[in-house]
Amino acid sequence: MKIDSGDTAWVLASAALVMLMTPALGFFYGGLVRRKNVLSTIMHSFFILCLISVQWVLWGYSLAFGPDKGHIIGGLEWVGLNGVGFAPNPDYAPTIPHQAFMLFQMMFAVITPALISGAFAERQRFKAFVLFSLLWATFVYDPIAHWVWGAGGWLHTLGALDFAGGTVVHISSGVSALVAALVLGRRLGFGKQKVEPHDATMTVLGAALLWFGWFGFNAGSALGAGALATSAFVVTNTAAAMAALTWMTVSWWHKKQPSVIGAAAGAVAGLVAITPASGFVNVMGAIVIGFGAGVVCYLAIQLRERIKVDDALDVWAVHGIGGTWGALATGLFATVAINSAAANGLFYGNPKQALIQLVAVGAAWGWSIVGTFAILKFVNLIVPLRVHEDEEVIGLDLSQHGEPAYASIHAN
Amino acid sequence: MDPTTVMAVVCSVVVFAGWLLLPHSPTTVKPVVVSDEREPARVSA
Repeated sequence: MKIDSGDTAWVLASAALVMLMTPALGFFYGGLVRRKNVLSTIMHSFFILCLISVQWVLWGYSLAFGPDKGHIIGGLEWVGLNGVGFAPNPDYAPTIPHQAFMLFQMMFAVITPALISGAFAERQRFKAFVLFSLLWATFVYDPIAHWVWGAGGWLHTLGALDFAGGTVVHISSGVSALVAALVLGRRLGFGKQKVEPHDATMTVLGAALLWFGWFGFNAGSALGAGALATSAFVVTNTAAAMAALTWMTVSWWHKKQPSVIGAAAGAVAGLVAITPASGFVNVMGAIVIGFGAGVVCYLAIQLRERIKVDDALDVWAVHGIGGTWGALATGLFATVAINSAAANGLFYGNPKQALIQLVAVGAAWGWSIVGTFAILKFVNLIVPLRVHEDEEVIGLDLSQHGEPAYASIHAN
Repeated sequence: MDPTTVMAVVCSVVVFAGWLLLPHSPTTVKPVVVSDEREPARVSA
């Protein structure tokens, strides 16, 4: 196997783009919380970048992509990157160094638990967050990544299509966020006092940087610099734009004004939904997927508010529901005209693919619920998940980190 | 046209028509009076 310099350059650049998404997520979330919690919220993303970077090279990559064990998990043969060198691995990416593929996948493993942090913002104890993130990455993310992307994984063998992580990244994090919000309970004063985003400009900047990084996330998942990467790039941009337009239209109709934060959230919802489909659908499919994301994710937020679940930054609605819609839509709109190595969806004469996608979605939901619930209960035995009430009142920036985000302005 | 294209056209028409037809309700906001000039933030290296 010969290393292709163009493919390698694109995948390494894409890894850098995806890396940027995690601090960008910190800013997206940071703008949405009150000013007394902004540093702790940004810290969740920044800290996970460090934590999972180390976890991944030590054992995470081996569990997710190592030699298959019973179609469920990778073996420990690649612990410490033993045997993961510079020669290409034909199972995953035959034209780039194996370590380039490992690095690209690392950035996916990093951002996924960071996404969950939006659900328990403004109330989780930092120590509990660290332990939860490490266990969740090991026992929830790594197995699901193996099922869907690992050579020999059972969903991979079944034929499930997930180009860049609709099930692996977004359903797993979004559904886990819902579980975390239910287990931790509501913030003090939830439903009684209005919690306004402390800096909408920070949120819009974060969303824009996420959009930028998402080109690496999706187009980079082609693992080569060619036509498939170009197609993924085009549909990613199209779906994000269409979802933002749709979200604004729906919120304008519902609340009588076009929301700026709604536009940012809509774009992220579109990016989430196109993620699993980005290597399989054409640009018309991307428009429908973006439209659907704008509608279903907006409705999911209304439902979440009605049932009074305090998923603080709507991770479930945007990532869980957006990822579910995207994964199912892949089974509807996939076409071999875009990716001859994949399969057609329902609208191109292959209804079986829609059923396979349903199985993949169900498996990702099921394992995320069970695994996250068990991990949260276990962590709570060692260290309380929530901060004390007085710590929550003064804010996590001071109570957990001893630092204010803004000089001499601590209150709300 | 294939079904996907038909759906994409319908979705686009719904969104663009929505932008043209939806009414706008401006919120009345009281102007904020800044009485004190802010002190520059102290930055320690």
